Amino acid sequence: MPAMPAAAPTYLLPLLQLSDSALPTGAFSHSLGLETSLHRGEVRDEATFADWLTQFIRIQLVHSDGLAIRLACEADTPAELFRVDRELHASALPREIREAGVKMGARMLDIALAVAPSPELQCYADAVASGDCAGHPALAYAVAGKSLGVPLAELLASYLFSAATSLTQNAIRGIPLGQNAGQRVLAAAHREVRDAVVRVQTLGREDFGVTAPGLEIAQMQHERQRARMFMS
Amino acid sequence: MVESAPVVELAPVVELVETQASPAVGRLGAVGEWAGTLSLDVARRNGRSIAVRQHHDGALRILRPHYLDESGQVCYVVINPGGAYLGGDRYLIELDVAPGADLLLTTQSATKIYRTPNDRAEQHMRISLGAGSRLELLPDPLIAYREASYGQVTCVDMDPTASLVMAEVVTPGWSPDGGYFRYDEIRLRNEISIGGRLTVLDNLLIRPGSGSPVDGSAFMGACTHLGSLLVVDARVNSTLADDLHALLAPKDDGGRLGVTLLDGPGLALRALSRSTEQLNAMLGAAVDLLRKRWHGQEPLNLRKY
Repeated sequence: MPAMPAAAPTYLLPLLQLSDSALPTGAFSHSLGLETSLHRGEVRDEATFADWLTQFIRIQLVHSDGLAIRLACEADTPAELFRVDRELHASALPREIREAGVKMGARMLDIALAVAPSPELQCYADAVASGDCAGHPALAYAVAGKSLGVPLAELLASYLFSAATSLTQNAIRGIPLGQNAGQRVLAAAHREVRDAVVRVQTLGREDFGVTAPGLEIAQMQHERQRARMFMS
Repeated sequence: MVESAPVVELAPVVELVETQASPAVGRLGAVGEWAGTLSLDVARRNGRSIAVRQHHDGALRILRPHYLDESGQVCYVVINPGGAYLGGDRYLIELDVAPGADLLLTTQSATKIYRTPNDRAEQHMRISLGAGSRLELLPDPLIAYREASYGQVTCVDMDPTASLVMAEVVTPGWSPDGGYFRYDEIRLRNEISIGGRLTVLDNLLIRPGSGSPVDGSAFMGACTHLGSLLVVDARVNSTLADDLHALLAPKDDGGRLGVTLLDGPGLALRALSRSTEQLNAMLGAAVDLLRKRWHGQEPLNLRKY
């Protein structure tokens, strides 16, 4: 008897669409502190960018975006989700990082509502529209993915890798770096993202929003940088 | 859910907020579990602020109030007769500043964290600031020694018209081998709610030498000392942030100073350095600018003895 042809899970294509680094959320104009490190000469080539990206994944993407996605998936009520939104917004001390979250969050919500509408996503969008929530791309992504039934590890891995890809595209333009060098950095980031997916699932609530002083200062200093390619 | 390494977890945010509403210490731990507690209610009486209720227990004391100028601001000094925080020690400090009252709280000397082999040391602060009240929280530096783990959680619930200035300097203690930076982990968490709404969640983790790229630029770079200042006050605006930056930038030799506006309104200032003196000078200059501009006060001179 011939085997049943396997179908792709229904969530796969919406997930691919939402995690496409070309998704028009404005990520191409946010360096999230990278530009300060470029300006200081700390990031100047493939190796130094790969190091920066590793640190960024381990600190910001794991403790803020990644843990936010997990907590959103664990939220049983809208109130719990709104609390995650509030903590995520409040934990971004550098003004440009807060603003980046709000701007990209609004775009991600619009797109996700078009790609994968659900009552949960509409509820979050309404809370953002009313000002009860600030909005953040990680949370819009998480709510959409939860409604689609995406397993947590896949939801985390696709979001984190998409964020790493956007930052790498920005580094290719900003350093500048060759396209092949960018792809090598991304391939090397596979392991870092896989580790991050596991790490996010072992963290406690007290780890939410944890940041590191050097990264935070770079993100603050960007506000006063004169010649800038990026909004953050 | 698998929790991260520390044996005693700091209570989750939601629980901390809930316990603020009840007079009992609640889920932060029973009173008997604290190595030291201090509770201070400050109110304004006849033009001067003064403690109208104070209580201490265990290894925390408070010196008699004094007044550094004619503003009516009262200054209290917290002392830890034991001289240091040890593993498993948990301290609780509760402050209530009544409407219109004005409190400067400092410490007699640096807070030292020694080896905490099995269990980290913790300090919990719960602060309530009434309408038009003011708190300057200016402790001496935190010094963490070899194999020390420390968690500090400060929860502030303030009226939108209250004024908060809080500073912190974190320094590594010396190891016997003359090296720096041998503590295991420092967590500093500040939760500031305005009118019951969480506005600032400042959550720093410094964990040297644990396999994380801690010496990388994202953590401390080549620096060893961290200074932090949070200001939440309706008068904060971008002009003030620019003025503070202009004042402090010349004192920042390593280019590791960041100033940013918070919702609130408020501002956050972070600096990295290789010395406590430089950070004290920077934070002191910032505090003095605020004291002069908002309160007409002279530069702060804490006569410690």
